[in-house]
Amino acid sequence: MIELKNITKIYEVNKNNKVTALQNINLTIKEGELIVLKGASGSGKSTILSLIAALSKPTSGEVIVDDKQISKLPDNFASIYRRDNIGFIFQKYNLIPTLSVEENILLPLVPLNPVADELQEKLISVMKKFNILHKKDSLVRNLSGGEQQRVAIARSYVNNPKIIIADEPTANLDETLSAHFIEILRELKSLGKTIVVATHDPLFFDLDFVDTEIEVHNGSLVV
Amino acid sequence: MILTPEVLAIFILNTIFGFFAVIAFVLSVKIYLNWNLDSTSNSQYRLEKQSFLTATIIKYIFIIKVPLFLFFIFTLDKISNVLVGAMCGAGVVDATEYGTYLFILKVINLYIFAYWIVLHNEDIKHENQPYTKLKFGVFILAFFLFITELILEGVMFSSIEIDKMVSCCGTLYSNSSTSYISDIFAIETPVLLTLFYGNFLLIVLFYFLKQKYLFAISNITFIIISIISLIVFFGTYIYELPSHHCPFCLLQSDYHYVGYLIYTFLFVGTFYGIVTGFIESSKKYILKTYHMSIIFNLLYVILLTLYVIVFYIRNGVFL
Repeated sequence: MIELKNITKIYEVNKNNKVTALQNINLTIKEGELIVLKGASGSGKSTILSLIAALSKPTSGEVIVDDKQISKLPDNFASIYRRDNIGFIFQKYNLIPTLSVEENILLPLVPLNPVADELQEKLISVMKKFNILHKKDSLVRNLSGGEQQRVAIARSYVNNPKIIIADEPTANLDETLSAHFIEILRELKSLGKTIVVATHDPLFFDLDFVDTEIEVHNGSLVV
Repeated sequence: MILTPEVLAIFILNTIFGFFAVIAFVLSVKIYLNWNLDSTSNSQYRLEKQSFLTATIIKYIFIIKVPLFLFFIFTLDKISNVLVGAMCGAGVVDATEYGTYLFILKVINLYIFAYWIVLHNEDIKHENQPYTKLKFGVFILAFFLFITELILEGVMFSSIEIDKMVSCCGTLYSNSSTSYISDIFAIETPVLLTLFYGNFLLIVLFYFLKQKYLFAISNITFIIISIISLIVFFGTYIYELPSHHCPFCLLQSDYHYVGYLIYTFLFVGTFYGIVTGFIESSKKYILKTYHMSIIFNLLYVILLTLYVIVFYIRNGVFL
């Protein structure tokens, strides 16, 4: 379970330039739920994601994941938490263009130093699942947008995270590919993953498998 | 005043360290007074960020300061060449009234700085950062010693007069009335050796019994007894001269720089021995400190003893 309690996040560019991204918000996400955070650019959606992923710390308040106060974790422990619990899907995919599909997907596993045979088995199964096996040796810069998105999803899934975080995942996809991505999300949810999506894509609204849609408006939540 | 490239390097580094240490000190006081890990307030989150920055500054100052001690000794040795009467670093230390105090302070700081690094490494191993308050408290104390060291160092090098005659180590480390440590030469050799090996055996005993406080105390006494034994007895076998007792000459090339090895063994061995009694950590880490201490103290004892044995085998007599 993910709990955000009395979270305020202020970005302080300098003493005279402060941006309040989140203002005293409270949010609870149960295990296995799929939550869609919707709202205009700059409303604070991505900030919520970065707090859940322990990529940044709140200005005040608590972020609790499975009874662990992750907002208080020192940086080295926050990295371990991310490695073990979080899968990321970014708007611009954040793949490494000079690496192959297989190498990109492998990246989250590198710190775990896995056994070679197990690793290969895992990689093949994940690439099959996301229909990218036939491109495994291609450099990602040579792939289409949809294929790159599938690699990004495979990478987020390969370490079997409990939580998958997607930040504007369909912003660079056409309608057909976006619909395909939504089907993948449905599948991930059926596997018991907790999923938090930040988007302003109307395709995500009113989906039957979405548990809660939350509007983020000027740093506050409107359920 | 003496300004060799080495002294200049020390001055420049001291200025940089001093500047960053002051920043770290101000932040450390703030952290020490306000730290409350249970709080989720803005000020606590700010302190957590600042503690990371401050600890990084302190860590790098201390990590560089520890090996810089060897550079300081090397510098003393090097500038002894230009001081009339000085044969090694001992003459330079004695050239001003500040030298001895500086040297003693540097040795004390060496242990404190190394202790801080161990404390910090232990702190960042745990999610709840159990030593944060303590490590910044230790730094607040260390800061004053550190600044005193920097000032003394500056004053000492500034006060050295090149054309003034200084004493050589043969005079300083002897039982003559001109030596300020002549009293230690009054100790009978059998008594001294009994104390030296007896103290080491105590360390071994407490190592096997895993009595951490007694282990730490026996390491503290071992520092003193070891240095006295080195000056009074073992040094003469390194120099192969019954009248030469200097603890500095063995750092020179004539003796293959063996002093650096001897002092490193003694420092690492006794440091880990003392740490064993002053830190609450995992069983694994405490065992590591026991092992490090016993290994390096043993190496120290073996090395010094070997000099005596080899001398006896070669010459058929003891000095």
